[in-house]
Amino acid sequence: MNRRHFLGQSAAVAGLAFGLNGQAQASSLKSAQIVVVGAGYGGATAAKYLRMFSNNTAQVTLIEPNPEFISCPLSNLVVGGSQQLSALSVPYAGLAKNHGVKMVKDMVASIDRQKKTVQLASGQTIKYDKLVLSPGIGLMMDRVEGLEEANKAGVTLQAWKAGAETTALHKQIAEMRDGGVYALSIPLAPYRCPPGPYERVCQVANYLQKNKPKSKVLVFDANQDVTSKGKLFKEAWAKLYPGIIQYTPEHNVTAVDAKTRTIKFEVQEDVKADVLNILPPMRAGDLIVKAGLADANARWSNVNFLNFESVVAKDIHIIGDSIQVAPAMPKSGHMANQHAKVTAAAIVAELSGFAVNPQPVLTNTCYSFVNATDVVHVASVHQYVPAEKTFKTVAGSGGLSPAPTALEGTYAWGWAKNIWADSLV
Amino acid sequence: MRKTLAMTALMLSGLACLTTGTTAQAQDIQAQRLYNQSLAATCANCHGTNGVSVPGVTVPMINHLPESVMYELLMAYKTGKRTGTIMHQLAKGYTDEQLKTIASVLGKKN
Repeated sequence: MNRRHFLGQSAAVAGLAFGLNGQAQASSLKSAQIVVVGAGYGGATAAKYLRMFSNNTAQVTLIEPNPEFISCPLSNLVVGGSQQLSALSVPYAGLAKNHGVKMVKDMVASIDRQKKTVQLASGQTIKYDKLVLSPGIGLMMDRVEGLEEANKAGVTLQAWKAGAETTALHKQIAEMRDGGVYALSIPLAPYRCPPGPYERVCQVANYLQKNKPKSKVLVFDANQDVTSKGKLFKEAWAKLYPGIIQYTPEHNVTAVDAKTRTIKFEVQEDVKADVLNILPPMRAGDLIVKAGLADANARWSNVNFLNFESVVAKDIHIIGDSIQVAPAMPKSGHMANQHAKVTAAAIVAELSGFAVNPQPVLTNTCYSFVNATDVVHVASVHQYVPAEKTFKTVAGSGGLSPAPTALEGTYAWGWAKNIWADSLV
Repeated sequence: MRKTLAMTALMLSGLACLTTGTTAQAQDIQAQRLYNQSLAATCANCHGTNGVSVPGVTVPMINHLPESVMYELLMAYKTGKRTGTIMHQLAKGYTDEQLKTIASVLGKKN
């Protein structure tokens, strides 16, 4: 054995030890470029908690095209006219100021998985070591004939991504003749916010009852029955809005005619309405689909539930509405915030050189307004089950409100203000 | 010369092993702290980041509760001794150990 060889070997041994002990890895937490795409409930929370869980050492860039956060939860109150969109908006400034997140106001146009870069619409390229995608849902407009054009022309509205359409939908309802018809169509599950459509018709009926009492609300649900809080919503409709809301299950919309304001169904006869609120089938955000990451039925992304890493792309983590959900896991803002925290902790663990949490937990709470003040909730707790590599709700936990109350109305606002701060401030 | 070098190399690798041992321990503590923080963060959606609510918000405050009191309350919700609108449903989803961890992270130290 010559001297050089021996030294080389011992250096290798020492190097191996250092490599394993995490000293070298810890610096990778500081040097890694972590890029988060989308600053909704998922992405904003991921960016904030990546900074918090790394004691403000991780470098986190958050890419978002919108000037401020607008909450989808509670936006049905804007559709019904009892709230303004400004009451549901939160500036992004807190993430930079309080947490040192680097904000980039832009859209991601494409992802280069080989080079580990994202290309922005502005032309800029950003390198990543870890990428977190939280682009929300994509609306499959092409599944309903004529919908793309009708929606562009404003004849139909979705208002399922809160923003300009939310306000526009209220305006259409407010301008509708007394005795007019508002129609809402609901796609087959899974879609964003399971109880959302049923809450929306409560809000529209609440407005019409006070302002245009001869009007009707028609609900065409592609599902076999109300998909969330069914008994509570049906009781509320019967008690609060008798004769206004007409609910019909198993009605699948196939086409809309913008000229005659007609909805066409797979089986049943055509229906005409004054205000057409058509919700098409949904899938993962467009970026996910374009990047080839929608590996579940070309609609959603399968992820490893311990760290929310895509099963088809290393170092790309996908959270929020875009994922193929675990059993009984809703596509909700609350759930996206919870995905984000598990993911942030897992990324910090990985980059620090230690194992990810083997036992993550998620919760969901969802409050729905049946009028401007009274609320019902559904809640669940989801524990990771290692043997099945998925999250499952815990037997005997979770549940519904017995009935709508104003007390839960105040809690709903408390939830909103605290989750907005938890995600963005 | 060769002997000296060999000794140095052995000492170096020995040092590395020693460092590995203590760092591994420190890392276990760090990892556990991260897991605990992330578990407690499941409460933050309703009760605020680190259990600190936005001022004036109607969700019951928790950040003034001593650790032991918070654990007792969580267990009372879990066992049904205490009812609420939603907490009794959520507490039942956690193990006793997890509730203890949550109280240790978010509760005031006695």
